[in-house]
Amino acid sequence: MTQTYEVFLGCAIPNRFNNYEASMRAVAKQLDVKLIDFDGASCCGTVVLKSIDENSWLSMSGRNIALAESRGHDIVTPCNGCFGSLKDTDHVLHDDEKYRKMVNNALKPLGLEYSGKAKIRHFVEVLYDMKDEIRDKIVKPLTGLKIAFHPGCHLIRPSNVAEFDDPELPSKVDEILELTGAKSVPWGLKLACCGSPLLITSEDVATRILTEKMISAKEAGANVLVTNCPACHTQFDVQLIGLKDEKGESIELPAMFVTQILGLAMGLDPESLGTELNRISLDPISEILGI
Amino acid sequence: MTESWGQFKSFEGKKFDTLDAEFTKEVSKLLGGKDLTACFQCAKCSAGCPVSDKVNIQVHELMRMLLFGLKEVLETDMVWLCTTCYTCQERCPQGIDITDIIFGLKNMAFKKKITPPGYVAARKSLYDSGKLYEPTEWEREDLELDDVPELNVEDTRKVLDKTGLMKLEEGE
Repeated sequence: MTQTYEVFLGCAIPNRFNNYEASMRAVAKQLDVKLIDFDGASCCGTVVLKSIDENSWLSMSGRNIALAESRGHDIVTPCNGCFGSLKDTDHVLHDDEKYRKMVNNALKPLGLEYSGKAKIRHFVEVLYDMKDEIRDKIVKPLTGLKIAFHPGCHLIRPSNVAEFDDPELPSKVDEILELTGAKSVPWGLKLACCGSPLLITSEDVATRILTEKMISAKEAGANVLVTNCPACHTQFDVQLIGLKDEKGESIELPAMFVTQILGLAMGLDPESLGTELNRISLDPISEILGI
Repeated sequence: MTESWGQFKSFEGKKFDTLDAEFTKEVSKLLGGKDLTACFQCAKCSAGCPVSDKVNIQVHELMRMLLFGLKEVLETDMVWLCTTCYTCQERCPQGIDITDIIFGLKNMAFKKKITPPGYVAARKSLYDSGKLYEPTEWEREDLELDDVPELNVEDTRKVLDKTGLMKLEEGE
């Protein structure tokens, strides 16, 4: 049965990582998942607005949820930030009548109302439910690919909000990735934050966090770092460029999106997956990827 | 000692005039604040925090300051250097929504203009355009992606006017 969702792209993906959107759409097409454009979406609210003013965050995010609800659709998003923000809002508005009233009061002049009918899912959740279908589509196994998978915080924590995977030992996306014949390697700082939310406050601290993570991924023997979040990917494929460890050695690793890995293993054209837009060179793994 | 953010750098030699019970109450009423007073200082929050070794005041110390009603907490680096990773909240044996409490403290600090400048700029962008970033058109064309659907900015502004986003600062 075809699944249908309104796809919530957020701001970061169309701004910086159109390769993520392109590869998500290509994989969705292979799996017969129907993605409808999300008309009228604003920013999800994000941790940025939640930090400034929680009432504004709940209202801005609640408006997006109410829009999908008014059209009778569920929401899917490929962004951890949007996922976390929308799920968190849904959690608060579902549990707390005071905040629900406040938001609905702000939405009333727009003819919208939040009642909690729209489900919010991350694109990798949809993928996890389609493991059998994915397995059948793999035609180009990625043998030799050693993935340091970074789930990103808001996909798994807080677990009572995210409702997706074990917050201390997540494995669902790793299972999806290993369907391609790649290996998801265990690494010490896998669950640690990438540092991205601190770029707005202190690039120095954000970079120290990133450096620690990359040293851990390299020590684990990974040859690629894989994410499902544009904010985390900003650290791994933009901020990381040129960074070195204490000995002056490069700590760069190729960085890719989950959907690019799946698309390549499904035999899709690399150009359609936007691999040319990955900033850190994929040359060290190009033979394994077949690009 | 780090210089990255915050005026309150150390407890050493500090004298506090008041322990303000009202402040503790106020924080308890924040989203996530209801179990604040259950903190027994096990410091598990700081043990898993990605910035514990990069801040002057760690999470468990921040929690202690809240219980003591010390408003100076708003000037510590821990408030704005919290990455929002939720590890502390996930692991707290007392079930305290620590990360959510820190979000509330950021709200309080913002009202007092104790805020990294990037947040002031982000607020303006959210209000003016309803988003944080604009699409990169040439990349989308190359990948044959359709245009991102337009946002009715007026609608978003109506919501944000109602919540008073542009008039948060105290005394304005």
